[in-house]
Amino acid sequence: MRSSPLIGIATFLATKILISTLIVGLVILGLSLLIGRYFCGWICPLGTVIDLSDRLHQKFLRGKPNTIRPLRAWKYSILIVILIAALFSTQVIWFFDPIVIITRSMTAAVYPLIAFLLESGLKLLLSVGILQDQLFSLYDLFRQRILPINPIFFQQSMTFAVIFIGILLLGLLARRFWCRYLCPLGALFGSFATLRFTQGIAVASDKCIDCGKCQRICKMDAINADYRSHARSECIECMSCVAVCPTSAISYQLRPKFAPQRIDISRRRFVYSSASGLIALGLIKTGFKNPIATGQVVRPPGALPEPEFLNRCVRCQECVKICSTTGACLQPGLLESGWEGLWTPLVNARHGYCEYNCNLCGKVCPTGAIHPLELSQKQQLRMGTAYFDKSRCIPWYRGEDCLVCEEHCPLPDKAIKFDIREARRPDGTVAVVKFPYVDEKLCIGCGICVTKCPVPGPGGLFLTNAHQQRWGQEAEF
Amino acid sequence: MNRREFLRIAAASGAAVAGGISNGALFGSYDQLESHARLAVVQNGLPAAMVQKAIEALGGIGRFVKRGDVVVVKPNIGWDRVPEQAATTNPEVVAEIVRLCLHAGASKVKVFDRTCNEPRRCYHRSQIEQLARQAGAEVSHIYEQKFKTAAIPNGQQLKSWPFYADALEADVYINVPIAKHHSLSRLTLGLKNTMGIIGGNRGQIHNHFDQKIVDLNTVIRPQLTIIDAVRILVNNGPQGGNLNDVKETKTIIASIDPVAADAYAATLFGLRPTELSFLVEAQKRGLGSFDFNQMKIEKIDLKA
Ligand code: SF4
Ligand code: SF4
Repeated sequence: MRSSPLIGIATFLATKILISTLIVGLVILGLSLLIGRYFCGWICPLGTVIDLSDRLHQKFLRGKPNTIRPLRAWKYSILIVILIAALFSTQVIWFFDPIVIITRSMTAAVYPLIAFLLESGLKLLLSVGILQDQLFSLYDLFRQRILPINPIFFQQSMTFAVIFIGILLLGLLARRFWCRYLCPLGALFGSFATLRFTQGIAVASDKCIDCGKCQRICKMDAINADYRSHARSECIECMSCVAVCPTSAISYQLRPKFAPQRIDISRRRFVYSSASGLIALGLIKTGFKNPIATGQVVRPPGALPEPEFLNRCVRCQECVKICSTTGACLQPGLLESGWEGLWTPLVNARHGYCEYNCNLCGKVCPTGAIHPLELSQKQQLRMGTAYFDKSRCIPWYRGEDCLVCEEHCPLPDKAIKFDIREARRPDGTVAVVKFPYVDEKLCIGCGICVTKCPVPGPGGLFLTNAHQQRWGQEAEF
Repeated sequence: MNRREFLRIAAASGAAVAGGISNGALFGSYDQLESHARLAVVQNGLPAAMVQKAIEALGGIGRFVKRGDVVVVKPNIGWDRVPEQAATTNPEVVAEIVRLCLHAGASKVKVFDRTCNEPRRCYHRSQIEQLARQAGAEVSHIYEQKFKTAAIPNGQQLKSWPFYADALEADVYINVPIAKHHSLSRLTLGLKNTMGIIGGNRGQIHNHFDQKIVDLNTVIRPQLTIIDAVRILVNNGPQGGNLNDVKETKTIIASIDPVAADAYAATLFGLRPTELSFLVEAQKRGLGSFDFNQMKIEKIDLKA
């Protein structure tokens, strides 16, 4: 994630703060002035996966190397929209950046899927009823190594999977479809590559016999019809052509040569993209004045103040994944915090709670959207506050003891207290009952009371972001 | 004696035998065991030494564990807390019991608990996982698949509930709770420790708690209860977290009678057994007794 220059640049534009990610990104980007789109060919993990799936697709396409060259311009449009949006402090890079896409797909679709399949397979075998003991030890082994203790659930695995599979299926239209036509990071590297100071792929005209093998093998459709020149913005330095040429006419050379080429984007397209970027941006921004004022948006502990958080968070779901094996409270949101907050991590306290002794989400967040906290800091930081729904809480509406919430409250001095009073039950009898209430001064909003409340449905308490304390801020009282 | 008469007598004696058996199972056949203490209290020693002495006083581990038995040792691993915080059973106590069982020839000693916090964290931080494993126990996490719904024929509130199969099927079940404060039931001890082997929505046990907890304990009947009171949590239980709430009492209480063990532990908190309504209910329903005058108690002070 830190290696994607696009994230660094877009985050810089959005936050106007210099962050270390930017420096690393710029170095990586700068290298392409020497060796072109090397990143796409040799480093990008999404590119690698696309190559693998393309190889499968080739079985069906059999030697039909499609080309849809006019689409090359699209990626620049996407890049422009992203940068314009970032300039106006709206981050959308998380939707398009390939590094983020692959991370998100792996953490929130592939991993849960594999875990689910393994788990279900084992359960199926167990239900057959033979070799139980051996199966349970196998199960134990899996749980120690790869499987989470409890099955994990992601609210939007399906969405992420559909996008990921869609990108792979585009390979049926043309190889590396995403990289050729859509990827904004590719566009960024591509633009730098046209300005490179070195030669790269070079063809010895006299040795070339016009067999066209190089053009057919080129995943990126970078080689021109004359077989002697290529689009520098497209070549990803994979060197397949060097290897395939029967007369060794193609070589790879790092000798200095500066020959900038035109990028495949017309002035008109540039204007259109910019304009549509602005319109989309405006619409996103006019959605809610303050989406989190509803109180339902509770962020992980250590989350930056909301605007900064939105700019930093790339929706990689790393925090959600790590949390699913501990507290299981974090889930990717939908539109709870507005369009700008799509897929950002939210606490769903009825689904899971924040483990008192856990501070992992801040540790894994690659962009600092969640600040890494010491355990002692985290244990005092307020994510929000829980409140009782007295029309649902057992002692309050039924006049019977319960106190499950109080039992689970992890604070050394419990944030849930109770009064002992007489209660008149619905049937008219009178009993002495423990009535719980939340001490607002103490509650840190971990949500365990909400998770564990035995009342079916929404439960007898609910979690809000009242009194939340974002990183670097005081709690709002 | 004609045929009908014979059948009547046979049926009657059959019933008597059956009754005797179930009574014996219910009350642990105290009468035959009078030579040993029914309740042992050991104080002021190291955890392992106190465990050894306590079991010795009850007649030795061999009285409970036979060669080849599968034993379940059920500690409280409910919380993600370190032993010093006295929210989970002392790991050395657990380990020593495991060791004794294996020494007595147990074919397998299983240690598990259905935790409240994330299981891996609890198993690890409580140190029970490491120490029990070192002692030779099979320490595993709970599997949803292993919960089997069992009937509770003598249940008043609950007629059936899912129980963990390993606990139901064990030859010997040793309950090893830690003594702690609890806001709802005042204390959590042996009887409440049974909640760690039940499935379902455990929160629902909390109302009509006294009756429900006794209901559950009519199904799971430990041959031996060993209460860890090396450190007890006197406030903000059952999780604690504040070391000021922890009191070092350096005590191990062991008994074949789960009610007697709990009742004695209550006295460490300055409570009379009658102040704990679940104990009153348990005694009333015949799970055991806290009539200390009527039982043989052995108190051992390792300092002296
Ligand atoms: S600190 Fe809380 S929110 Fe973050 S990963 Fe851990 S349990 Fe989840
Ligand atoms: S908060 Fe951090 S870890 Fe979580 S999705 Fe956003 S960028 Fe990734």
